[in-house]
Amino acid sequence: MLWYKAWLETRWRFLFLIGSILLVWLEPVWMPALGMKLPPSLPASRLWLALQLGSILLSLFAAIFLAGSGVNSQTTYGLTSGFHGSMLFTLSLPVSRRRLLFVRAGLGAIQTSVLVAILAGLTLVQRPIATTAPEALTYVMRAIICTMAVYALSVLLACLLDEMWQFSGGCLFWMAVFILQVRFVGVARISPLRGMSLISYPISAPIPWLPIVASLVLAFGLLYTSVLVLQRKEY
Amino acid sequence: MNNIIATHGLSKAYSGKPALLDLNVAVPSGSICGFLGRNGAGKTTTLKLLLGMLRPDAGEISLFGEAMNSEASFIAARSHVAFVSEDKELYPYMNVGETIRFTRAFFPTWRRDLEEKYLDLFRLPKGKAIPKLSKGMRTQLMLLLAMARGVELLIMDEPTSGLDPAVTEEVLQALADLAASDGATIFFSSHQLAEVEQICDSVCILDEGQVVIDGVLDDLKSQYRRIVLVFDGEPPRELAGLPGIDHLRLRGRTASLLAHLDIEAVVARARDLNPTSVEVRLVTLKELFLDHVKGE
Repeated sequence: MLWYKAWLETRWRFLFLIGSILLVWLEPVWMPALGMKLPPSLPASRLWLALQLGSILLSLFAAIFLAGSGVNSQTTYGLTSGFHGSMLFTLSLPVSRRRLLFVRAGLGAIQTSVLVAILAGLTLVQRPIATTAPEALTYVMRAIICTMAVYALSVLLACLLDEMWQFSGGCLFWMAVFILQVRFVGVARISPLRGMSLISYPISAPIPWLPIVASLVLAFGLLYTSVLVLQRKEY
Repeated sequence: MNNIIATHGLSKAYSGKPALLDLNVAVPSGSICGFLGRNGAGKTTTLKLLLGMLRPDAGEISLFGEAMNSEASFIAARSHVAFVSEDKELYPYMNVGETIRFTRAFFPTWRRDLEEKYLDLFRLPKGKAIPKLSKGMRTQLMLLLAMARGVELLIMDEPTSGLDPAVTEEVLQALADLAASDGATIFFSSHQLAEVEQICDSVCILDEGQVVIDGVLDDLKSQYRRIVLVFDGEPPRELAGLPGIDHLRLRGRTASLLAHLDIEAVVARARDLNPTSVEVRLVTLKELFLDHVKGE
């Protein structure tokens, strides 16, 4: 039943993100219907780059948004401040805080993975050059793994902060990582953001193990820290 | 009688400000115990400590005779405990039926007959969304969730606050039934002294994080006496130092003493001060409360 509860808490966020993805990717349908046209001179490769960037941004947004309203606030939507009173009811049940976090973060991770897989898949469909199935699978997997680092940080922030600050804190952190990876080679080598990108690591290039491993280590480390934080938290 | 709840030297501070100081509480099995105190006395803190929502700075908690010294021990205890929080918040994205199904999943000893009984008794529609329930209905739903799980210890934080008199009476009746028929222990905080007096067999009064008086309500009432002395003029200063009195209140020519040890001796000593009249009477819970809680 905890999974069911977690689904009820996150379903509107998940459906909102699915809707957002469809809205972006169905541009060829709704833009002409509204009389809007893309500039005819826009090269397909540039358009694809823009879509790739959009995919990464939507993946980041999904990872941050789905981790919000987590174990603490238990509300369904809207940026929340503090925890909802029903948290006391949850904490009075014979369930460990570790399990509460595992279920809530687990469902959010699955939802994030589904969204990232859809986004990565759509990116590959729109790619001007044909992609083989192993290449597509490899890319989808690395996009999911690297996004998990973003998701895990959001889970940790959701354990520490109100959703308002969790959301903005997550955005600011990854903006800082983006700036640092441009300035410092060391950061660039392990940055999950670059691991998510087909621009930094083209699909035909060798698998970028460094950002993948770094993302995995980061994700597990952050989730473990989240468990410790939640176990020590007082309500 | 075994104690279902026992705390020893329990202390808790928030940002260095003490909320509980060396708290010792014992609640006997099968009793209905009222937990009284002014706002900020430490009642909610104590209840949360009992449920493992807060961690004590010092001291020990024991539930069902087991020391609560790890998360696992609290989880095991919570299989037999229900909690009704002050704001009675449940999941706003569920309805009554979903909330019952959700809670049922955690308690293998769930009793469907009691679930149906209290759904009927409290007139709770299964399809009604939680945000559309009144506070009284949320309280009743929480009681249903507690009773149907076969609760052994029911902890409640001001269960009747914000309820109309009719619902309050239904809730109190349900609590009395739970204790009488199922032998459950009920420990609840309240400001409603009349309600506490109506259903509780024991009380624990807290002030500034410390227990100032506790025990079986009837015993306390039989032990304590109010001794009212009227003098010709201002009451003599010696009254303040009179041995055996718990509390002294002066108003004009009248002195009101509260005593519980060797009442006869206290009355005899008081008579030596030559009052014009001496009256010894029984005390109410309200008097006990007001006389023991500072600042009143």
